[in-house]
Amino acid sequence: MRSLPTSPHLDVRNVMWLLAAMVFVVAPHLIRMPYWVAVFFVAIVGWRGWIAWAAMHFPGRFVTSTLTIAAAIATYFTYTRIVGREAGVTLLVVMSALKLLEMKTQREVTLSIYLGFFLVLTNFLFSQTIPLGVYMLACVWIFIGTMVGFNRVGSSPTLGERMRPAGALLIQALPLMVAFFVLFPRAAGPLWALPTDTRSGTTGLSDTMRPGNISNLIKSDAIAFRVQFQGDRPPYNTLYWRGPVLTQFDGATWSLSHDESRGNVADYARAQRPTKYTVTLEPHNKTWLFALDVPAMVPPGAILLHDLELREPARSPVRDRKRYEMVSFLDYRYGAAAHRGSLRESLRFDETRNPRTVALGRQWARESTNTREVLQKAFQYFNRDFTYTLEPPPLDSRDPYDEFLFVTKQGFCEHYAGSFALAMRAAGIPARIVTGYQGGEVNPLNNELVVRQADAHAWVEIWLAEQGWLRVDPTGAVSPLRIDGGVNAALGPIGVLPSIIAADPIGVLAGIRDAWRAMNSQWDAWVVGYSMDRQRQLFSDLGFPGIDWRALGFWLMVSTFVVGAAISIGLLVRDRPPRSEPSLVAWNRFCAKLAAAGVAPRAPYEGPLDFLRRVESSRPALAATAGDITHRYVEARYGRGASREELRELTRRVREFRAT
Amino acid sequence: MFADLRQSISDWIFRASVPETPPVTLVQRRIFILPTRQGYTFGVTTLILLVSSINYALSLGFVLTFLLMSMAGVAMLHTWRNLAHLKLRPGRCDPVFAGETAHFGITVETPSLTRFAIAARRRDEEPVYADVGIAQVASIAMPVAAARRGVMRCGRIEIFTRYPLGLFHAWSYVDFNLQVIVYPRPDTAAGAPPARSRSASEEGIPVPGDEEFHMLRPYQTGDAPKLIAWKALAREQGLLTKEFSAMASSELWIDFEEARSSNLEQRLSMLCHWVLTSDRFGQSYGLRLPGVVISPSRGEAHRTRCLEALALFHEPGAAP
Repeated sequence: MRSLPTSPHLDVRNVMWLLAAMVFVVAPHLIRMPYWVAVFFVAIVGWRGWIAWAAMHFPGRFVTSTLTIAAAIATYFTYTRIVGREAGVTLLVVMSALKLLEMKTQREVTLSIYLGFFLVLTNFLFSQTIPLGVYMLACVWIFIGTMVGFNRVGSSPTLGERMRPAGALLIQALPLMVAFFVLFPRAAGPLWALPTDTRSGTTGLSDTMRPGNISNLIKSDAIAFRVQFQGDRPPYNTLYWRGPVLTQFDGATWSLSHDESRGNVADYARAQRPTKYTVTLEPHNKTWLFALDVPAMVPPGAILLHDLELREPARSPVRDRKRYEMVSFLDYRYGAAAHRGSLRESLRFDETRNPRTVALGRQWARESTNTREVLQKAFQYFNRDFTYTLEPPPLDSRDPYDEFLFVTKQGFCEHYAGSFALAMRAAGIPARIVTGYQGGEVNPLNNELVVRQADAHAWVEIWLAEQGWLRVDPTGAVSPLRIDGGVNAALGPIGVLPSIIAADPIGVLAGIRDAWRAMNSQWDAWVVGYSMDRQRQLFSDLGFPGIDWRALGFWLMVSTFVVGAAISIGLLVRDRPPRSEPSLVAWNRFCAKLAAAGVAPRAPYEGPLDFLRRVESSRPALAATAGDITHRYVEARYGRGASREELRELTRRVREFRAT
Repeated sequence: MFADLRQSISDWIFRASVPETPPVTLVQRRIFILPTRQGYTFGVTTLILLVSSINYALSLGFVLTFLLMSMAGVAMLHTWRNLAHLKLRPGRCDPVFAGETAHFGITVETPSLTRFAIAARRRDEEPVYADVGIAQVASIAMPVAAARRGVMRCGRIEIFTRYPLGLFHAWSYVDFNLQVIVYPRPDTAAGAPPARSRSASEEGIPVPGDEEFHMLRPYQTGDAPKLIAWKALAREQGLLTKEFSAMASSELWIDFEEARSSNLEQRLSMLCHWVLTSDRFGQSYGLRLPGVVISPSRGEAHRTRCLEALALFHEPGAAP
């Protein structure tokens, strides 16, 4: 181990490069962090730049330690803690700024650059999209360029002399990087427990529903899951993706049932139209899995509850992208044999709350002779004068469904589903809320159905004797478009991009969008979602089923060796010293033959003609042949040069030369 | 003693065969390479990045980690290549006076690509860096304080580089047996050469001030500025030196016995000053040391001969 001499002061341009790289790498963090972090970071980096530029004094130890403590306290007060993703990254950002302020020696420069690599990694905690990946690659490039600059001791490199070697290093590192990425054995889970807020992309359905929380979710364009159907895609209006089932009701909020007894796919009284498909679920930090209404199988490791809710075990929520095969029956009958007493939870409601809704339900029941009539009345009612809107007026009162049905009359799926289910219960029909997603969007390029948070939906299931649980979607009564064409069809375009696409007459933008989404899908599947399962699948597809870490390690070594050898050879071919001149080779051989025959060896300073003169005087017998060879050599090397034939002739004559 | 042992082991490992005949080409087997301290830190950094990527299942974290790891591997090859096939030759090693800074010079040539930040250093000394361009001979001069008179040997030189990333240290050793002759420090307090010594002259006693113009001769390096024929220069006759008959005809013997001091080095310093003074005035002078007699003459070569005689006087192991 050798230490580098500490240079008295660092090259200004190199320092500026490092500061710029730091700003670039931290910029995505600064956008999402509290504004004081950005102000603090930019101020400190600016200060350091000023110190380098104007050769100012560094701040004293007192100043830096005061700033350090102040930053730590500010972080604590912002997040009320120091650990966790947001707080941890904030701390790392402010501390790396302070590290820059103390950076005086080459070694501290190196540490700052390594800190920069950590900052690159922390960006991936928040996002792993293609644009961020490309941006971070650019940041790494600048960091490497900075390292190159700092190692050009004694001269300051130009932009090209910085970025070209750095780019060459990165490009030459790519093959080995890909080999490692594909072959490095992936672990099944985290090495230690993670703080709960570690992962991003955890927007999704919650385990409760009250008026307002799904319409907030629907503004998110984030992907919930992707589906690849085997065979034809079922019609759009049957795509109900079943999620959490909410049975408990307190007057405003619907929540999960406490009854966690298991269900069984064998319990279906009717099970027809099986549809096979593969779901790639984005991490949402909750336990449930989504399947088309209703699931016909249970993925390995998951459980099915009696209300047909698919779940992962409680201790392993979906923190990584999860891929599972599914089969669903689109035509089914379930729970017909249930005893009415066991449905008590689905009839319970608080008499004191939403009295007008309860009264309405009871009125429907009184005026009807059977359940079919009750349902008809209910649908007629909801069809009358309700508006489907994403921005419903807030419902603050103790009786939100009364307020919705009789005052505001504007709502979203959870308003309709909630009030409908309550009215059904009041009418004596067991009812419960099912949340999940409805529909999705098909990408024509890869025929994949993409379901977004914007497709979140809530509907009602009611229980009828001899028929069991039936799906009823009151939102369909209000806005049939919602069911047949998705949210965009019902509400018009949401956000900027869809409205541009809506104005795109020939579909160029839509084509670009589809290509981009298909690319993102591949990226998510093969890069971001490259997990242990994916790795196994890839190798079994390639014909190596059941590959283990030993085999992977072996191939890793092989590819390291092959790639390393290829790069070494590539570098050496470019760098081989020019081959010796053939004439020189022949001449040296000639001299060696004479030396072997006893002529005193040619001195380094002795020219060929001088040497010839000495040979002529000491060995007159050789004068003619030696003279011929020498003159040919002098002509080839110092005269007009020699053609290939002449060189071959010279070589031949030297070979045939006999000094004895 | 332990350091000596370590050194001899190191010499044995790195096969220091001395001296070598120039030019020396740094072929593959002459180059050694090891990670630097920064290289080890980089390794630890990538390890932490790897563990974080595993723990947080960050695929792009894996990409970053493996990219940096592979890049370090590639950088090792680049560092090695930056040194490979360089052609080294001995450079200038000009004599200096004791107390001045001597320079051991080597020249570096590259057969193909430009090499950046090539460094040379002597054992335990600060390195000197140079960029070596294509078709150009880069000189690296390693400064060293010449403390005492005699012959200063350079010893083994380490040629190394850490370019491009500083993660690896590639090095090679070369020993051209470079040496710098260190003249005694001139003792300016010694005054003019003792007058008595001038009596050996055959053509009369040269009197100071007796400066009858004799002739013009071509300028030689080391001629005093005041002797230069500036008028001739103005007439574009070239650089000429005025020679005075008094000087041309007089002979001066600078004698060891004349320098009165108990200290050998002090005496040599005085003699050195007299040689320089006599030379500056264009005086013809001879040098007489115990066992060494240099007959009177003048000029650059003569001065060098005298100063070398002083430098090497009673120097153990001095080359003639």
